[in-house]
Amino acid sequence: MSKKSNQAIAFWTFRILGLIVVAILFWILGFIIWHGAGSINWEFLTSEPTDGMTGGGIFPAIVGTFCLIVGSMIVAFPLGVMSAIYTTEYAGNGKIVRFIRIMTNNLGSIPSIIFGLFGMALFVNSLGFGDSIIAGSFTLGLLVLPLVIRTTEEALKAVPDSYRTGSLALGATKLQTIWRVVLPTAFPNITTGLILSIGRVSGETAPILFTAAAYFLPKLPSSIYDQVMALPYHLYVIATSGTDLEATRPMAYGTALVLIFIVLVMNLSASALRRYIGKKTKTN
Amino acid sequence: MEKQIKHTEKELLALRDEVSQMWQLVISQLEKVKQAYLENDAELAREVISREKRVDTFELKIDSDCENYIALFSPVAVDLRLVLSMIKISGTLERIGDFAEGIARHVVVDGCCGVAMELKEDLRIGQMFDTVISMLSDSYVALETENTKLAGKIMQQDEEVDALYRNAIRVLAAYVAKRPEQARCILETLLVTRKIERIGDHCDNIVEEIVFYIDAKILKHNRSK
Amino acid sequence: MIETKDINFYYGDFHALKGISMKMQPNTVTAFIGPSGCGKSTFLRLFNRMNDLIPGTRLTGECLVGGEDIYAKGVQVDELRKKVGMVFQKPNPFPKSIFENVAYGLRVNGVKDKAFIRQRVEESLRGAALWDEVKDKLKKSAFELSGGQQQRLCIARALAISPSVLLMDEPASALDPISTSKIEELIHELKRDYTIVIVTHNMQQAARVSDKTGFFMLGELVEYSDTKKMFLNPEKIQTQNYITGRFG
Repeated sequence: MSKKSNQAIAFWTFRILGLIVVAILFWILGFIIWHGAGSINWEFLTSEPTDGMTGGGIFPAIVGTFCLIVGSMIVAFPLGVMSAIYTTEYAGNGKIVRFIRIMTNNLGSIPSIIFGLFGMALFVNSLGFGDSIIAGSFTLGLLVLPLVIRTTEEALKAVPDSYRTGSLALGATKLQTIWRVVLPTAFPNITTGLILSIGRVSGETAPILFTAAAYFLPKLPSSIYDQVMALPYHLYVIATSGTDLEATRPMAYGTALVLIFIVLVMNLSASALRRYIGKKTKTN
Repeated sequence: MEKQIKHTEKELLALRDEVSQMWQLVISQLEKVKQAYLENDAELAREVISREKRVDTFELKIDSDCENYIALFSPVAVDLRLVLSMIKISGTLERIGDFAEGIARHVVVDGCCGVAMELKEDLRIGQMFDTVISMLSDSYVALETENTKLAGKIMQQDEEVDALYRNAIRVLAAYVAKRPEQARCILETLLVTRKIERIGDHCDNIVEEIVFYIDAKILKHNRSK
Repeated sequence: MIETKDINFYYGDFHALKGISMKMQPNTVTAFIGPSGCGKSTFLRLFNRMNDLIPGTRLTGECLVGGEDIYAKGVQVDELRKKVGMVFQKPNPFPKSIFENVAYGLRVNGVKDKAFIRQRVEESLRGAALWDEVKDKLKKSAFELSGGQQQRLCIARALAISPSVLLMDEPASALDPISTSKIEELIHELKRDYTIVIVTHNMQQAARVSDKTGFFMLGELVEYSDTKKMFLNPEKIQTQNYITGRFG
C-alpha cells in the first residue's frame, strides 16, 4: 500500500472518530432539548415547585445551585491557588512537596460520596453549620480543590522563568514578582481550572446530599446557614422518587436543560473573563 | 593528537610565503646591482631594471592579500600583528627594490666610469653593498626563525653603513676640490652612496616590524632614549 | 566600582570559579570572554546575587560593589539589585504594555507619583535609544516590538531605577546584526553614566565595546587587561590561542 493511501486511511479514521464524539454530544443535547424545551417557560423558571413537586417551577433550585457554585469557588479558589503558589514558587522540589503532590492527586480520585460523608461529619455536625449553603460550599470546595491546585500549578509552571529572573533583577521581592508578574501571566490558564471546577461542582449530587440540599423547600435562602434546593438533586428526586414519575418526566428534562444552560453560561463568562484578561496581559 | 592546521592559518602561511619570495627577489636584485655597479656592467643593470616590475607586482599582490585577510578573518593578536607587519615589510621591500633600480639606472646612463672606478675603492662602496645585503638577509632569517636577537646586530650594521656614508661625503668633497671638472660624476656617485644608505635605513624599519610582530614592542621613534 | 577578592564559587561539588580577584573601574565597559562553561556568566551573576536563586551553591571570598561587601550579613538583596541592573541574553519583557514594563521597577519600589513615573519612563526610553520608536504606542504590548527593540526595552527597564552598575549577559546574542550594532552603540553611550560589565561570546563585540577585557577559562581568570592590549598583544598564550581561534 502506498504512503498516500495510508495517510488517507489514517486521516479518515481520525476524522470519523472525531465526528462520532461530536455526534454523541449533540445527540444528548438534542435529546434533552427535545424533551425539555416544552416545559421551559417563564413560570417554570421563576416560580416555586407546587403540588408535591409535580407542578410549579424550579426557581429555588436554580438559586440554590448558583449559591453553591459561587460558595464553593470562594472556598476552593483562594485555597487552591495559594497552595499551588506554595508548591511551585516557594517549596522547591523537596520530599514534602512531592508528598503534598501525591496527596493532592489522591484527594482528586476519592469518590464524591465520601466527600459528602466527610462534609456531614465535619461541617454539618462537628462545626455545627447544619445542612446549609456554607456546609455544602465547603464540601464542594474540598472536592474540586485538587483540580484547582493541579491546573494552577500547571499554569504557574507555564510562566517562563525569564519573567521571574527579570523581575527579581529589578529589585522586586519574591512576593511582588508573584503578584505583579507571575499571577497575571498565569491567570488565563488558572481560569481554565475555574471553568472545569464550575462544571464539576454544578453537576455533583452526592456531596450535597447530606450537607446542603433540601428535598423540598419552596422558598429562597435568606442566609448562608439556610438549606437550599439544588438542580442536580432536584433532578434526581423528580426523576426517581416523586409522587408521579410519569407526570413529572417533562419537568425533569426541563430541569436538566436548565442545569446544562447554567453550566454553559458559567463557562462562557469564565472564558470571556479569560479573554479579557488575556488581552490585557498578552503573551506571545 | 596531530594538530590540524586551520584554513585561516593556511592563508597566513601562504602570505608569509609570498613575502619570503619577494624578499629573496629583492636580495638578488641588490646582489646583481652591486655587481653591475662595481663592474660597470650595463647589461646586468638593465636586467635589474626590468626585474623591478616583478618586485612591484609582489607588493600589490601582498597588499591585496593582506586586505582580504583582514576583511574576511578579522585577525587579532599575533595574527593581526603578522598581517600588519607583512603590509609594511612588503612596502619597505618595494622601496628597497626602487633604490636598486635607481642605482642600476646610474650604471646605464652614467658615462662617468673613469671617475667612478677610481672612487669606488676609496669610498668602500662594495663594503656598503655587502653590509646592506647582509642586513636584509639577516632580517629575513630573523623573521623565519622568529628570533629578535638578530635585531641588535642588524641595527649595528646600519650604524656602519651610516659611518661609511659620512666618510664617503668627506672623500667626495676632497675629490671635488681636487678635480672640479668631474663634479657631475662625483655628485652622481654621491647619490649612489646616498641610496645605499637609505637601503640600510629601510632594513632597519623591517627589523622594527619583525620585532613588533614577534614581541609587540614598538621600537620606532624611541630608540635614541 | 566593583572589586572581587579571591572569589571561589561552587555548584555543589563543582568548583566553578577559582580564586578570582579583579577590579572594575566606574564608567568603563568591562567585557568577559571565554569558552562556554568557563564561569564568566556565573561570575557576572555574583554582582547582583542572581546565583542566590540556584540551590546548592557556595561562595568564598569577598565581592565589593561601591565599596560594600554585598555578601555581608544584613545586605538586602532587593536593594542591591536596584543598584546593579541586569540585562539578559534573551529579551524578556513582561507581558505588559511598553510603559508598564519600564515603570515596573519604579512601581515595585513603591513609587506612586504618576508624573514622576511618566518622566522616568521617558528618560529611560530615551536613554535606551527607543523613545522615538515607541512614543506613540506606549500602551501597546511589549511583545509587538521586534527582538532588538525588546532588548532595548529591557535595557530601558533596567535604567528606570537608576542603577550605578549595568550587567549584561550576552545582550546581543539573540539579535540580528543591525540590532546588535544598535545595542553596541547604546553600550558605548551608556558608559558615560554607568559602569557596565558585559559577557559575550562574540570576541569582536568585546573588542568593539569594551575598555577592559577579562579572559576566563575553566573557572579561572587567565588574563585581564586593556582591551586594546588584549587584542593586539595578549600576555598569555591561552588568551592568544582563544582569541585567534586556535583554541583546543
